[in-house]
Amino acid sequence: MVRFKSRYLLCEVCFSERSNLPLLEDKAIYHTLRAAVNRAHGDYGSAHFNIGVMVKYLNAHTGVVLIRCRKGHYRLIWSALTFITCLENRGQRVPCFFNCLHVGGTIRTCQKFLVKYNRQQLDRMLLDCKTDAEKQEVRRAILSCSLSAVREEEAYEDSSDDNEEI
Amino acid sequence: MSVFMDLNVISSNDKNRLKCILETAAHLGYSTVAINYVVEPQQKKPEIPQPRCVSDIFDKFPIVQGKSSPIKVLNRLTIVASDASHFRPTNEYKNFDLVAVYPKTEKLFHAACMTFDVDIICIAVTEKQPFHFKRAPVNGAIDRGVFFEICYAAAIRDNILRRYTISNAFVLMELCKGKNIIVSSGAERSLELRGPYDIANLGLVFSLSDGDAKAAVSTNCRSVLLHGETRATAFGVVHTMKKPQTPEKQQEETPAPKKAKIELV
Repeated sequence: MVRFKSRYLLCEVCFSERSNLPLLEDKAIYHTLRAAVNRAHGDYGSAHFNIGVMVKYLNAHTGVVLIRCRKGHYRLIWSALTFITCLENRGQRVPCFFNCLHVGGTIRTCQKFLVKYNRQQLDRMLLDCKTDAEKQEVRRAILSCSLSAVREEEAYEDSSDDNEEI
Repeated sequence: MSVFMDLNVISSNDKNRLKCILETAAHLGYSTVAINYVVEPQQKKPEIPQPRCVSDIFDKFPIVQGKSSPIKVLNRLTIVASDASHFRPTNEYKNFDLVAVYPKTEKLFHAACMTFDVDIICIAVTEKQPFHFKRAPVNGAIDRGVFFEICYAAAIRDNILRRYTISNAFVLMELCKGKNIIVSSGAERSLELRGPYDIANLGLVFSLSDGDAKAAVSTNCRSVLLHGETRATAFGVVHTMKKPQTPEKQQEETPAPKKAKIELV
């Protein structure tokens, strides 16, 4: 028996203001996606969307979304992502865009990439720090990421917490 | 990982907006961005704007995502030509790193492909292509190393413009078969930018193949830059520069040929 193969799109939702981030919700993203696919590819796209597309993971602090698609037509769904301009949530329309970071075959590879990516973000953050206290905080977070592969999970949790603080 | 470039960001007098766009571009992973000055000549003698010094915008340029170098910012001039007299290469063009032309008629498109000294030819995205592309000028442009540009910001902004963009892109792809194409943003706001991998995937919609679509945001853009550099030099081989004045005076004081004569005797 062969398993169903999927592709996971790891996307980042970019807002003009970071204060909009906590507004993210699974449902809102799903509906925005469905509308976008319908607009870009019509009934054909919608039919593909109805099988197998799912929002698997959402981090409202960093704005990272993991979307699952069937392997056969993930590029169709992906091309519709490009045309999203705003996210509708609780009657509010928030302008934003989706930036695809990684396409993986399993959730595990996506997770590995995300850990690496979040660490990179911390490095970038270190340059922007103004006060010494902030710098110390980010340095500590970076060090905690690089301890060992076994602690990847925890490290990821740390880094996402730190993103939120700064 | 290759170097991604976005060769069309519409310039604006609003410094903060430009700053915001460049920061977003760096975050998305573009290493080079060109600020586009569009000139739409109404009268016979158009005024060419002076490009703003890029170091004005930032004290410190933002670091590119995934790299350790800061983002590179260039200037680009686009001339919307509806008459042959609109495009006349003057010294003012030399202030820009890249020169593009947006031909409005078939005759001008032919001239732009075959004779004009430009790097980029823009394709209409906000209206139905007003003329048919012919194979001869398109092939001529490919031979000369001139690139065709498709902007995607209009497609993101509006439903109907998206149809025009895609259909115009289709027509062009039929002729040039995915060669010599660059895809750039044409963004006026930071939210109109998209990541380079998204754009490479968007090639699927424009009927580009995988390799061509990725080349359209990376290697082809590099060729455009190099082509722009050769415009400032003679065939890209000889580059002339003005020497500082002081050493020349010293040479005049001691004429070389006389000295040589004495040595001979």
